[in-house]
Amino acid sequence: MTEGKKIGSVMIVGGGVAGIQAALDLADSGFYVYLIEKTGAIGGTMVQLDKTFPTNDCSMCIIAPKLVECGRHLNIHLLTLCEVTEITGVAGDFAVTLRQSPRYVDMNKCIACGICTDVCPKKIDNDHDSGIGKRRAIYLRYPQAVPLKYQIDPAACIGLQRPGTCGFCEKVCDAGAINFADVEKIHRINVGAVILAPGFEVFDPKPSGMWGYGTNANIITSLQLERYLSTSGPTEGHLKRPLDGKPVRKMAFLQCVGSRDENLCGNGYCSSVCCMSAIKEAVLAKDHVPGLQTSIFYMDMRTHGKGFDQYLEQARSEAGVRFVRCRMGGVETDGESGDLRLRYVNENGRQIEEFFDLVVLAVGLQTPKHVLGLAHVADIKLTADNFAATSDFAPVKTSREGIFTCGAIAGPKDIPQSVVEGSAAAAAVAELLAPARNELTVLPKFPEERDISGEEVRIGIFICHCGTNIAGVVDVKVLAEYVMTLPDVVHVDRKLFSCSQDSQESIIQLIHEHRLNRIVIAACTPRTHEPLFRETLKVAGLNECLLEMANIRNHNAWVHGNNPTGATNKAKDLVRMAVAKVTFGQSSQAIAVPVFQKGLVIGGGVAGMTAALNLAQQGFEVHLVERTDTLGGNALNIKYTWGGEHVRTQVAKLIDKVIWNDRIVIHKESIVTGVAGFIGNFHSTITSKNGETKVIEHGAGIVAIGGEAAVPSEYSYGSITGVVTSVQFDKLHELKEKHVKLAKRFVFIQCVGSREEGHMYCSKVCCTHSVQSAITLKKENPDRNVYILYRDMRTYGQRESLYKEARKLGIIFINYELHGKPRVTGRGAEIEVEVWDHVLHQPLLIAAYMVILAVAIRPRQDAEKIGTLYKVPVDGHGFFHEAHGKLRPVDFSTEGMFVAGLAHYPKPVEESVAQALAASARAATILAQPEVKLDTIKAIVDDEFCDGCALCIDVCPYHAITLFEQAAVDGEAPKKLVRVNVAQCKGCGICQGTCPKRGIYVVGFTMKQVVAQLQAALAG
Amino acid sequence: MMYEFKVNQFAEEFGVHRNTIRNWINSGVLIAKEGPGRKYLMKFEDYRLLCEKFGREPYLHPENNVDGKTIATAPRSDRPPLVVSGEKSRLAQDPSWADSCLTCGTCAGLCPISGVDGLDPRKIVRMAVLGLDEQLVASDWPWKCTMCGKCEEACPVGIEFVALIRKIRGARNRSEVPGPIHRGVTMCLERGNNLGIPKDDFVFLCEDLGAELSEEDCRGFRTPIDVHGARVLVTVNSKIPYGEPEKLKWWWKIFYHAGESWTIPSEHWDGVNWGLFSGDDEAMKTVIGRIVDNMRRLNCQVLLLPECGHAYFATRLGLNKWFPEALKEFRIVTIFDLLLEYIESGRIRLDTTKHRMSISYHDSCNYGRKSLKAFGQAYFDEPRKIIRACSDNYRDMSPYGNSGYCCGAGGGTWSAPFAEERVFYGRIKARQISESGAKMVIVPCHNCRDQIFKSLNREYDLNIEVKYLWELVADSLMESGT
Repeated sequence: MTEGKKIGSVMIVGGGVAGIQAALDLADSGFYVYLIEKTGAIGGTMVQLDKTFPTNDCSMCIIAPKLVECGRHLNIHLLTLCEVTEITGVAGDFAVTLRQSPRYVDMNKCIACGICTDVCPKKIDNDHDSGIGKRRAIYLRYPQAVPLKYQIDPAACIGLQRPGTCGFCEKVCDAGAINFADVEKIHRINVGAVILAPGFEVFDPKPSGMWGYGTNANIITSLQLERYLSTSGPTEGHLKRPLDGKPVRKMAFLQCVGSRDENLCGNGYCSSVCCMSAIKEAVLAKDHVPGLQTSIFYMDMRTHGKGFDQYLEQARSEAGVRFVRCRMGGVETDGESGDLRLRYVNENGRQIEEFFDLVVLAVGLQTPKHVLGLAHVADIKLTADNFAATSDFAPVKTSREGIFTCGAIAGPKDIPQSVVEGSAAAAAVAELLAPARNELTVLPKFPEERDISGEEVRIGIFICHCGTNIAGVVDVKVLAEYVMTLPDVVHVDRKLFSCSQDSQESIIQLIHEHRLNRIVIAACTPRTHEPLFRETLKVAGLNECLLEMANIRNHNAWVHGNNPTGATNKAKDLVRMAVAKVTFGQSSQAIAVPVFQKGLVIGGGVAGMTAALNLAQQGFEVHLVERTDTLGGNALNIKYTWGGEHVRTQVAKLIDKVIWNDRIVIHKESIVTGVAGFIGNFHSTITSKNGETKVIEHGAGIVAIGGEAAVPSEYSYGSITGVVTSVQFDKLHELKEKHVKLAKRFVFIQCVGSREEGHMYCSKVCCTHSVQSAITLKKENPDRNVYILYRDMRTYGQRESLYKEARKLGIIFINYELHGKPRVTGRGAEIEVEVWDHVLHQPLLIAAYMVILAVAIRPRQDAEKIGTLYKVPVDGHGFFHEAHGKLRPVDFSTEGMFVAGLAHYPKPVEESVAQALAASARAATILAQPEVKLDTIKAIVDDEFCDGCALCIDVCPYHAITLFEQAAVDGEAPKKLVRVNVAQCKGCGICQGTCPKRGIYVVGFTMKQVVAQLQAALAG
Repeated sequence: MMYEFKVNQFAEEFGVHRNTIRNWINSGVLIAKEGPGRKYLMKFEDYRLLCEKFGREPYLHPENNVDGKTIATAPRSDRPPLVVSGEKSRLAQDPSWADSCLTCGTCAGLCPISGVDGLDPRKIVRMAVLGLDEQLVASDWPWKCTMCGKCEEACPVGIEFVALIRKIRGARNRSEVPGPIHRGVTMCLERGNNLGIPKDDFVFLCEDLGAELSEEDCRGFRTPIDVHGARVLVTVNSKIPYGEPEKLKWWWKIFYHAGESWTIPSEHWDGVNWGLFSGDDEAMKTVIGRIVDNMRRLNCQVLLLPECGHAYFATRLGLNKWFPEALKEFRIVTIFDLLLEYIESGRIRLDTTKHRMSISYHDSCNYGRKSLKAFGQAYFDEPRKIIRACSDNYRDMSPYGNSGYCCGAGGGTWSAPFAEERVFYGRIKARQISESGAKMVIVPCHNCRDQIFKSLNREYDLNIEVKYLWELVADSLMESGT
C-alpha cells in the first residue's frame, strides 16, 4: 500500500444504486463522502423501473429509504448537476475539479411546492419517462427526488432562451427561489479516493432502422414499458397501445436489441440483465391486462442469477409466458392497422408470420459518451467493449491507483451485483484510507427527547397516497375525514409519497406545530420503511417507539385493487387499530452495547481470504476459520479466470498476504461448533480436528464456506472411463494424460445437475468454463473436433467474446432441450453421443473420444448446520439466503452476519471477490462503531407480576431469559424472578404469550396495546 | 385419402394469391381436380408434400374433410442420425462464412423462402459448419435463393451468406447448373454477349433505331458507335436489344436532351455478368476485362452500367477486385449518378404533370443493400430524388431501403427453372406493393422489372404499371423549346 498522505474523504461519481450503496457504507464506517450526480437528483435508473426481479418489489419503494438516508446523512455531501473535469494527485490525496451546471433554482429557498411547474408553459419529452411522457421546462426529476428541489432545463426554458420573456415561474414563486442569473460553478475538492459509478445508457434502436422503432409508436423499448407499467408513469400503470389507445392483447419481447450484435451496433457483449427483465415485464404486464398473451423471442435465456431460473420456470408454467427461441431481425407494420408483423422460425424450423399489438425491444446496456469522457479524465483503462478494465481478483479497482468503480461502468450488470460492487468499492476505499478513518466525519446528533409522560395523548396521522398505489384504490379523502374523528387524533395529513424527503421535513414540522406525541403512518410495510420514520421521529425530538405503521398498501390496496369500497373500509379498520395501539405506546430507549471490533470469517477460500484480508487491512483483527489444512478452496481447481488471469498465481499471492498479515489469526482444520451472542457481541466456539475448542469474540461474522461439485448420475458417468467431470478433465488435461492428448473428438455436455427438477438453478460458471477448455483444446490442435452441447449458452456480459472466439475456432455448439438430453453410449474405445441438432432438426451422431460433463455447483453439506448456529437461513437448494435479494445481497436478516462466495450461490471468481469485499464493507460499518444500538423491541419483566415460574425460560428460542433470586427486602421472603438479556432478546413475544401471570411483556406490544388493537378491529 | 380445398383458403394459407394457386393447378404443379361447390380435390399426401416443399405446417379445417386422427398417427419420417465426420467444409472459406454463426434464427425468420425444400439460410450455414459439402452442392436451394442479402443485413455476427451461396453454386458441376445461367455465361464468353447477338446485327439495330429516333423527336440523332474519346461509354443489358429494342431509345433520348458525349461499343457491349450468379469467377473476370479493354480502346472517361442491379454490382465488384488500376483511369457510374447529374445541373428538365398516379419505388438489392455492404455506398436516396423530380405523388413501400425486400427473382432466379418458388418468394414484394397503394412502380433493374411486371403483377392481381427509371425520366422530359 502506498505511504503518504491519506485524506479521510471519498468522491463518488454517480448517484445510482451502486454509488448510493458505496456512499452509505463509507459514510457509516467513518469516511466523509462527496456524492456527485450529473442530473438534478440521485436515484439513477432504478427510480425509473416499475418492479424489480426476482422479488417483484416496487423499485421506487425499496430505493426511496436509501435516497432519503443519503439525502440527510451528515457525512454525505450531495452535489447535483456536476461533472468531473479533472482529477490530479495520487491515491490518498486527489484534487478533483467539478463543473456544476446552474440549476436556476436556489436550493436553499425552494420548498418544492410545485407552483412553478404548474405555470410553466413549455412542455418537452420527459427523459425520466424515457421520452413517452411530458414534463415542463422547470421540473422535478421525479416526485420522490433527492434533493427535492426543482430545476430549470436551460435548453427548454423560454425565459433562458430569450431573456426577458416568459418568467412565469419567477412571478409565482413566493419563496423567491428562481434565479435566471445562476451561473456555472467550479469546485475543487480534495479527497483520498474516487469511486466511479456513472452507470449506463440503454441502446437507442432508432438509427439502425432495423426494428421499426420510431416509425410505429407500438414499438417501444423495455425501459419505456417500465414507465407504462409504473403507477407513477405517464399512464399511471395502464397499458394501452401508444399509437391508438387500443387494448393490448398480444405483446412480443425481442431480446438482444443492441446486445450480442456486432453488425448493427458493435456491441458484441451480452447485456446480462435483459432476459430477466423481459420475463419480469412479461409476467407483470399480464397482471395489468387480464388475458394478455406475452411472447419472448430470444436466442439464449440468460437467467443465471439467484432465483432467476425458478422465476423463468414459473413465468412459463404459471404465468403462461411463451418463449420462442428465435432472434428477430425486423418488425414490420401491417398496412394501416398499426399491428406489428413478426416473422420467425419455430422450433420445428417452420417459418411463422404472427401479428402483435405491442412489441417491446429489450434494449441493451452501453457506456454513454459522457462516461467515456469521464474515463478519459480519470485516466483509467477500458476494455474492448468500452467498460472499465478491472482484474478478476480486484473487480472494483481501475488501472489507476485510488480510483475505483462499481456498477455498470465495469460491465453490464443487474441491481444486486451493482449493490454488491457498491459495498465492495467502499471496502476497497476503506482499505486504502484506513489511517484516516473518522478524521473528517461528524457524529449524528439528535435533539433532546421530549418527555411526554405528562402530556395528554395527541395523535397525528399521515396517510400516504404512494403515488396511485394507494390513492388509486383507497378513497384517501374519505379515509382522512374518517380517521380525524377517532379519539385523541389532533392532526391528519395526506402525502403523495410519505417517504420522500420533503414529507419527512413536513412531518417534523407538523409534530412541532401540533405538539403531536403519537404518530401513525398509514402507508406501506414497516419491514422496509419503519427505520425511516423512526429516524424522523427522533429528529423531531420524539421517542422512536411512539410510531405505528398501518400497512394500507401491501395488505390492502394491492390485494383489493378490484374492490375500492371494501379497500377504503379496510383502510379505516387498519388505521383505527393503529391509532388504538399507539395510544398506549410508551417511550423506550434503545440499549447500546460495546462492539468487539474484530471479525470472524468462516471459510478460507478466495471469498473468505479476500474478506479477511480486507478487514485486516482496514485495521480490524480477524479470525479466519478453515475446515481443511489448506487455504485456497475451490479456486485451487481452476486454472484461469474468464478474463485469462492465472488463478493459482493470484491465489498464492492472496494466501501469502493472509498468512503474513499480523491482524489475521488463521484457524486451520477447525469448524464452528457453537455460537452465542448478537451483533457486535458474538462468541463463537471453534473446535479443531483434535478436539480443542476456543471461544472467539467478534462483532461481525462472514460466512464464506464455499460450495462443491456435484457428482453426476447420468451420461454413463462411472461406467465409461472416457466420461469425466469438468474438474477431472482439467486435471487430466493439465497432466497431459495420454487419452486427452491423443483424443481427436471431445464432447462437452452442459447443465449436468443444474436447471432441472430439484436443482432449478444455474451454476453460472460452467458455460464459460467449458468454452474456455474447448478453446484451449482447439488451440493446442486445430484438427481436433470439439462439440459443446448446451441448453442456453450463458456466457453473459463480456464473456460473450469467449463464445465468439470459440465459434470462430470451429467449435460446434449444439442446443439440446431438457426433454431431449443427449444419449451417451460406449462403443469400444469410442463413445457415441447422439443429440438432436436444433438447426437441422435431425439427430446427430458424434463418435467422441472423451465426454466432459459440466457438473453443477452444490452448496456444502454443513451449510445448514452453520445456518442453525448463527440463525441464518438457507434456501430450498441449500444456499444461504440473504436478507433481501435486491438491496441487501450480502447481509443476513440476522444482524451482524454476512455472506460471500459460493455459499450464497454459484458464481465466478470476480463476483466472489466483489461479494467478499462487500461483506467486509458491511461488517466494517459495525466494527467501526464503538457501540451498537439494539432494537427497542425487547421483552421487559414486570417484577410485580412475575413469580419466577420460569415457563418463559424454556420457550425462549434465543436463551435470553434467566432465573434469579431477589434478596429478601423489608421482611418479605426472597423472591424468584426472571431477567432478560436484552442484547440477546429478539422481541419475538413467545415469553409474553407463555406467561400465565402477565409478568413479562414486549415493548410496543403490551397486553394493553394488543387488546386495544383487537377491540378497535372488532369495533368496525 | 383425399383433401378438399377452396382456392382462396389455400392461397391464404400459403401466403400467395389465388391466381398463383390456379396457375399451379393448371400447370400441374398442384395435382388437383375440380369438384363440386367450387372446391378442388387432391390427394392428402400431395398436399402434405406441397406443405413440406414450402415449409408450411399442414393445416386442417373441417371443410377439408380429412380425419385429423389419421394424420396425427401417420408415421413421421424418422430420419436416421447424421454421422458427424468432423471434416471441415471446403466451401466455407472463412469463419465468418459459417463457423461464427450463433444459430439465432434471425436469417431464417427474415428469408422469404425459409422452409422451401425444408431449408433456410440458417440450415445452409449449419450444413457448412458440419461439413456437409456434398449435400449443399447437390441441393437446389442455393439456386432458389436470390442472394438478396436480407439475411446479412440483420445477422448479428455478420455471416457472409451470399458469398457462401455463391461458393456453393460455383462448386456444382457446370453441366448441372440449373436453367440457362451457365449457357448464358458460355455464350457471353464465346459470342460477346449473353444472348449471342452477332456484331453486325447489333450495329444494324442500333443504327436503325437511331434513325427512327431522329425521325421521331430527336432531330439529327445518330447512334454513336465506337466513338473514340466520347465522355461516356454505355453498356447495355442484352435482353433489351434482344426482346424490347424500342426501350433503348428512352435512354438515347435522354442523352440527346442532355447533350451528352457518349458511345456504344460495337462488341462486348453487354453489361450483364452471369458469372456472378453461377459462382464462376473466371468468367466474371473475363467479361469485365473486355469492358476495361473497350474503355481503353475508345479512351472514355466514364463507364455507365445499364439499369440493371447485378450488372452494376458485378462490374464494380470485379473492377475493385481484379482491375483496381483501371479505376484510376476512368470512373464507373450508375444511371442514378448520371440522371441526377443531368437533373441537378439543369441539363434536362422534367415535367411532373405527366405522371399523376401514385408512384412507388422498388429497391434493387444489388444497387441497395448489397452495394452498401460491398462498396460502402448504396443508391437509396438518388432514385427517390429522381422520381420526385418526375412526380408529385411518390410514396415508399414498407420497409424500404436497406431493409427492403427482394422482388423474388434476383440472383439469376428469373432464369432458373423454379417458377413456383420464385412466385412464392415474390408474395412479400406483392404485399408491399399493394399495401403501398401505388399504381406505378419504378424498378431500376431488368430482373426485378420482369418479375414484378410479368409475374407478380399477374399472379397477385396488382394492376400496376411498371417502368424503368430511365423510362420514367424519358417520359417526363420537357421537350426542348417548350
